[in-house]
Amino acid sequence: MAEVLDYDNVTKDYGRPWSKRRVQALNGFTLSLERGEIFGFLGPNGAGKTTAIHLALGFMRPSSGSGHMLGKPFGDAPTRARIGFLAENVALYHRPADKLLRFYGALNGMRPQRQRLRAREVLQQVELAQEADRNVAKFSRGMQQRVGLAQALMNDPELLILDEPTSALDPLARAAMRELLLEANRAGKTIFLSSHLLSEVEMICHRVAILDKGQVVKLGRTEELLVSRDRYEVVARGVPAGSFEQSHALDGKVMFTVPAVSQREALERVWALGGEVISVNPMRRTLEEVFVELTNKGASA
Amino acid sequence: MRQVSLIAANFLREHRWPVLILFAWIVLVAAATGDFGRSRPVNEDVIFYCQQQAMYICVFSAFLAADAIHNERKSRRILLVLSKAISRGEYLLAVILGTSTMAIAYALLFGLCGVWLTARAALPNGQLWSIVILVMAGSVIAATVAMFFSTFLNPYVATAMTVLLFCAPGIFRLQRHAWSLWLPGLPILVDFLRFSFRSDWTVNWFAGVIAILEAVLFWVLAAAVFNRRDIAIPVE
Repeated sequence: MAEVLDYDNVTKDYGRPWSKRRVQALNGFTLSLERGEIFGFLGPNGAGKTTAIHLALGFMRPSSGSGHMLGKPFGDAPTRARIGFLAENVALYHRPADKLLRFYGALNGMRPQRQRLRAREVLQQVELAQEADRNVAKFSRGMQQRVGLAQALMNDPELLILDEPTSALDPLARAAMRELLLEANRAGKTIFLSSHLLSEVEMICHRVAILDKGQVVKLGRTEELLVSRDRYEVVARGVPAGSFEQSHALDGKVMFTVPAVSQREALERVWALGGEVISVNPMRRTLEEVFVELTNKGASA
Repeated sequence: MRQVSLIAANFLREHRWPVLILFAWIVLVAAATGDFGRSRPVNEDVIFYCQQQAMYICVFSAFLAADAIHNERKSRRILLVLSKAISRGEYLLAVILGTSTMAIAYALLFGLCGVWLTARAALPNGQLWSIVILVMAGSVIAATVAMFFSTFLNPYVATAMTVLLFCAPGIFRLQRHAWSLWLPGLPILVDFLRFSFRSDWTVNWFAGVIAILEAVLFWVLAAAVFNRRDIAIPVE
């Protein structure tokens, strides 16, 4: 599959080389996004997520390394007509929503007729069609965030780069946003989603990268990341409840987890007790557990 | 070019209140000069009004342009604009275009007020439109130089640097030398200070042309510097 966003060993330092306050935001950062995927970009505050996004958009230059977006080096202005970007804490000009969207559309070279049509469509998508003529200054933060997403969708982009798109949204709006992103993805758009809402990332992202201290500490398909190879869940029948540590019984079945190393021993014990093994599966973790484990490891190191 | 004019129009819209207040100021000062306390203004008052307003328009243009990038970065609105298919050079060109449009409108209003004043003072106004055109050229170079400095300096320091660059050579009387024609802004300032309604005062058109050429050069320099700036870093 073609790569739509590609970071090659990128380092970004803030501050002057001789300054004591020099901070390294990214350190040998390498990552590739494939066309058509929803990619979750996670990391604790200060991990370098926003810096990585800003580098791709050309808002800043890497201290070393390079990168490409839709086949062109970072910062190429014409390429940006093919992407949509929503910044964290979106800041908009104080104009009516419809006019504002047309303004942003025009900056991407859209013709007036297409601007009008798209503005109407995207306002409908973010459920703000009724507010088209209202000044965005009078909108709530959540509504402004939705206008922010609408401007990112205006030019029907190939790649959507979203930095904390749901941070200001209530649960209902968040669910609607999720649907919108899935719909955009079904329409063929690649989505690069930086978020702190791990449950959301877990629900919609095909692949996830976890960033800590400017480096990718975990990268993989969401499903694979959530599967633990360290512990297994065993479901058995015909053994007394309580025969295994932390086991629980349900509908005549006994369920318990065992470390991978003692899996064989546990199964033999089930058989020795006259029971029957129904299933043995790797334990499933939440993304939050994976995230905490990886980023805590980094902190203790 | 359409994107540039859109950003310029948006820039003007964002600054409409200070611009309108300054429009009101130019009219009020003209009214004060032409009407207060005596039946008709004297020659010196009208000349002073013209010199003062010519300088103000240039200084205001410099202020407006010096503050533009800083304001947009501070509000973080620049991020959405520059996430579109706009290069940094085009963005700066839009700021210059916005400032220049404002300065041209300001200069035309100044010209109209000047026509009224010269009529009241019974002075010939043939020279007036020459200084109006020179004000336009002066505003463009002032705005561009201030914007160049603001790409790497705080806006107040950028404005101060612009004023210093324009005025310091004059303090050292460098205008006596022929090559001083190439110093940014200086020949225009000299023309402002020499301004009179006498027929022997003539505008130095070459100074205006050089100012526009220098503005292009400063825009190229500003774009080169601004291209290397990290615009996402918050500013105070």
